[in-house]
Amino acid sequence: MPWPRRRDDFGSCSRATRRSNARELQGTGDKTTISNFITRTAALVALFAASLTAQDDLGRKSPSVTLSAPPVTTTIRGKATNVALRFQIGSGFHINSNTPAAEYLIPTVLKLDVPTDIIVGKITYPAGEEMSFAFAPDEKISVYSGEFDLSVQVRPLASMLPGKYEIRGRLRYQACDKAACFPPKQLPVAFEVKVIKAPVPPKPNPAQSPHAHN
Amino acid sequence: MKRDPVVIIVVAMVVAIMLVFGFKLARRSRQGALGEAQMKTGVAPDFTLQSLDGKTVRLSDFRGKPVVLNFWATWCGPCKIEMPWFVDLQKQYGPSGLQFLGVAMDDASTKDIAEFAESMKVNYPILIGKDAVGDAYGGVQFLPETFFIDRDGKVVDKAFGLKGRGEIEDAIKKILGQGAVAQTQR
Repeated sequence: MPWPRRRDDFGSCSRATRRSNARELQGTGDKTTISNFITRTAALVALFAASLTAQDDLGRKSPSVTLSAPPVTTTIRGKATNVALRFQIGSGFHINSNTPAAEYLIPTVLKLDVPTDIIVGKITYPAGEEMSFAFAPDEKISVYSGEFDLSVQVRPLASMLPGKYEIRGRLRYQACDKAACFPPKQLPVAFEVKVIKAPVPPKPNPAQSPHAHN
Repeated sequence: MKRDPVVIIVVAMVVAIMLVFGFKLARRSRQGALGEAQMKTGVAPDFTLQSLDGKTVRLSDFRGKPVVLNFWATWCGPCKIEMPWFVDLQKQYGPSGLQFLGVAMDDASTKDIAEFAESMKVNYPILIGKDAVGDAYGGVQFLPETFFIDRDGKVVDKAFGLKGRGEIEDAIKKILGQGAVAQTQR
């Protein structure tokens, strides 16, 4: 049986044949084949591990909330700019909105630790969508599911040195699926802002000389 | 011998994944190993917890009574939905010996938990939960989780997540022995 050279050959050779075939392998092409095989094996192992670790002992999936890589936002010294942050919630889950329907529910809140020269203004949360759990259709709760965007207002002080600055923080959320809720979690959040000087205003045109038309 | 850097990176990756996965499995097995051993035999792991009024409560104190052990939290919406059912079922089946026990797996203060329980008109003991007790019952990764324990202290049924009131009542009948009676009569 040949050493796997095509995608559909993987996993079809015994350990003994692998050993003997491995000794025969020579040259760059064969090395690439080994690399490919190991890469694919690693990918399979990673997928298997990820699928297992994403489930709890009872086979229920665990919730996940992730932050999409935010682009670097350019902001002018002394002026307020809004930074958009997009979050994704794992399929089948929802998290309470920033204004959940009941006091006992844990709202989604972003807390930021900012450099001293940047002032964080208003954090704007989207309105939640109304949903209800099975067995209690009349009791509405306000949640986010799928994707949701937050807007963070930042204002670098006028005296701040131009450059890139990282802002870190944590998104606190509490997720549920259709029938169960998971303990509150904190997602580390980080994004960059590029602080630039205010563009120099264009100089006013000098008064035209009366002789210019001559 | 010159080694292919890709191979080294990939092998390192596989080893890292295996280590992470191994640690996770080890942690899971360590969590509540004793509890799981007990659960395998069907015996509800015993525990000692404080009630909202400061009393020490052991599960074994209720030996001889069918017990519905409910893990919940104030932030858990589905838990709040089933609590009024539990209040009704405690009233209905309490005279037959049934005892509900609520274990609050909450970071909230005892005062907040007590206020919440009062607002829900809870008529059964609420205990302040500990992780060790959750671990003994399989980790309690999410809420609500409810265990139906018969008079001999054996876990006869479980409800993970919110179930219908009918399903809960059926499980209660099992631990009261009424389900068996009904089956025999059929």
